[in-house]
Amino acid sequence: MIEVKQLTKVFTAGVRAINGLDLAVAEGEIMGLLGPNGAGKTTTVRVLSTLSGFDSGSVKIAGFDIDRDPEKIRQSIGFVAQRTGVDYFLTGRENLRLQGHMYHMSRADIDKRIDELASYFQLTEHLDSVVKTYSGGMQRKLDIATALIHRPKMLYLDEPTLGLDTPSRHSLWQMIRRLNSEQGLSILLTTHYLDEADKLAHRVSIIHQGKIAACDQPQNLKSQIKGEALVLSFAEQNQANQQFGQTLAGLDFIKDQLWEQGKLHLYVENGANAIALVSQQAMQAGIQLTHIALAQPTLDDVFLKYTGSSMEQDGEQEAEPWWAQWAGKGGGGWNKGQWAEQSDPQEGDESSTETAGATQADDWEKWQGSDDQASDGQDGDWQKWQQQRPCEDQAESDDAWPSQASPANNWQQWQNHNNTADQADSKPPSENDWIHWSPADKEQKD
Amino acid sequence: MIADTWYLFLKYVRISIRAPLWTLFNLIQPLIWLVIFGQLFSRFAQVPDFPTGSYTEFFIPGVLIMTVLFGSSWSGISLLREINSGTVDKMLVAPIARSSIVLSRVFHAAIQVVVQTLIIMTVARIMGNHISMRPDSVLLSLLIIFLLGLAFASVSNGLAIALQREEPLVVLGNMMTMPLLFFSSAMVPKTFMPAWMQMLANINPIEYAVVALRTVLLPPLDTSSLLLGLVVVAGFAFAMLYWSVTAFAALRD
Repeated sequence: MIEVKQLTKVFTAGVRAINGLDLAVAEGEIMGLLGPNGAGKTTTVRVLSTLSGFDSGSVKIAGFDIDRDPEKIRQSIGFVAQRTGVDYFLTGRENLRLQGHMYHMSRADIDKRIDELASYFQLTEHLDSVVKTYSGGMQRKLDIATALIHRPKMLYLDEPTLGLDTPSRHSLWQMIRRLNSEQGLSILLTTHYLDEADKLAHRVSIIHQGKIAACDQPQNLKSQIKGEALVLSFAEQNQANQQFGQTLAGLDFIKDQLWEQGKLHLYVENGANAIALVSQQAMQAGIQLTHIALAQPTLDDVFLKYTGSSMEQDGEQEAEPWWAQWAGKGGGGWNKGQWAEQSDPQEGDESSTETAGATQADDWEKWQGSDDQASDGQDGDWQKWQQQRPCEDQAESDDAWPSQASPANNWQQWQNHNNTADQADSKPPSENDWIHWSPADKEQKD
Repeated sequence: MIADTWYLFLKYVRISIRAPLWTLFNLIQPLIWLVIFGQLFSRFAQVPDFPTGSYTEFFIPGVLIMTVLFGSSWSGISLLREINSGTVDKMLVAPIARSSIVLSRVFHAAIQVVVQTLIIMTVARIMGNHISMRPDSVLLSLLIIFLLGLAFASVSNGLAIALQREEPLVVLGNMMTMPLLFFSSAMVPKTFMPAWMQMLANINPIEYAVVALRTVLLPPLDTSSLLLGLVVVAGFAFAMLYWSVTAFAALRD
């Protein structure tokens, strides 16, 4: 549906907003473009929607070349910008009708389509009230409805849930999924919310400094980060907790730790074993723990790995996430290499954690390409893997997302499959009733 | 392009009708000028060689043109608002003619000032001023107003695209209005002006519009100055329209 090769765009100020970006979106796929503000997401979407020009590279959308057939591309895409493009002083119906005329549709067709879209987006009863009176979530839904009036094959959503409250976000997510699974609509979604990319996208492209740093299914990306996190909650806050933390820091199996809001985060290789050892230590030290949560790596960790900086540092507006402190530590005892997986992620060999930390560390440096170390190109080197399997190839070969022909609830199954895959490599929950086992840390943060 | 322009034009008309106070609000200032200037300069008409018997009557074409300048200068500001709110982007991703976006705005602004001036003409007539309200004179004066409205709405939109910011646009709009009126016979007969001002008036399109309007509204009709006025204003409108449409078409980041 979308084929972008080596796209470059330089702003007049000399800033390379897009710098050799490759992107492929398959038909019927939701592709998440994930990155902090200023990474080039919006610029990319603007180029792909014919709003912005570009300097070099090739862009094909729905089979049309953007230089030769911009009009045909405009007919094939729907575009929902960050800023609501609907008119506040018109009613929902008038907005939709105007949009229909903009796409040169017939009156009868427009009316038919308005009825369809209004019932789909649950706007029927508000259709004849002025948009000014709509809530933020309703405005967003109307915005998406207007973008779909001409039955496009491809929908761009630029930060669709920015500024929406939680119920509106969730209801919008549900609608986006349904649009994809029921109507077979291909969607390119930009977001800086990691949970949004994780929950919505079939594949996620991490965009960093105007290029794609990584592109894969969310669970594949996450599985590349080895290890697990334990979050300890204490019965009371006191100095003894800190001492306990220092004691733990001296233990082999704990790779790193950080304090956040009175909770201690521990990074370990084998979470289930660590729970037993940590609880033992706590009992010896006379510390009362109320809760131990075992967490899987989230897209936060993935993002950190691929960009070498947290989204926070790149000028994010969100509240400081728990890993920011961890990221800010730099080399303070924690070795990035231990977390980077050496083997080919395609194999999905998630249980092999015994590989030597030292060699992995070297691989990390090579993968990063930022070091002056000579790279002699080992097999299984991440860089090589990326070259062998660039993002475009996956679009054709991967069939993990539901195809257009599959039933509507395929999405659910696919998602469930993801979750079970995530859980597969972690050990079953402990019997101890005070130990809470949580499949994903992100659920806690929600 | 015509269909695109028409539907967008209808949208702006609909918005105007939905907020009629805004259109009426723009009338307050010209009406105050009409009343206050009429009173202030009432004895001015007794000066020898003054062309009309009442200063207010003399000043009516000037007030109408002032309405055009005030009314159409909003068009550019609302274009910037539409650019910033994402409405323009939404139009641009649709397969419509780019020119229709500016054209619809400019035509809407021109129609809006036509409505406003029609109201002012009616009020002036009710106040007892002897202006010609014959259908042909009303239509001719509205034509001049319409063309002038097109021209200045284009200027406003063109400047909005060039400046990209609201504040300098408002400042520039205000700065432009007064000299344009002063360097014309809107307030004072041209023969009363010093020579250098007369020269400036000769290159001021407003002057030709004022003269044409005055001859239509305050008979006897001087056909040659009417025709000259129409040609100058139409040419000016076309040039400004062309400029704003091309400036908008070149707008791409």
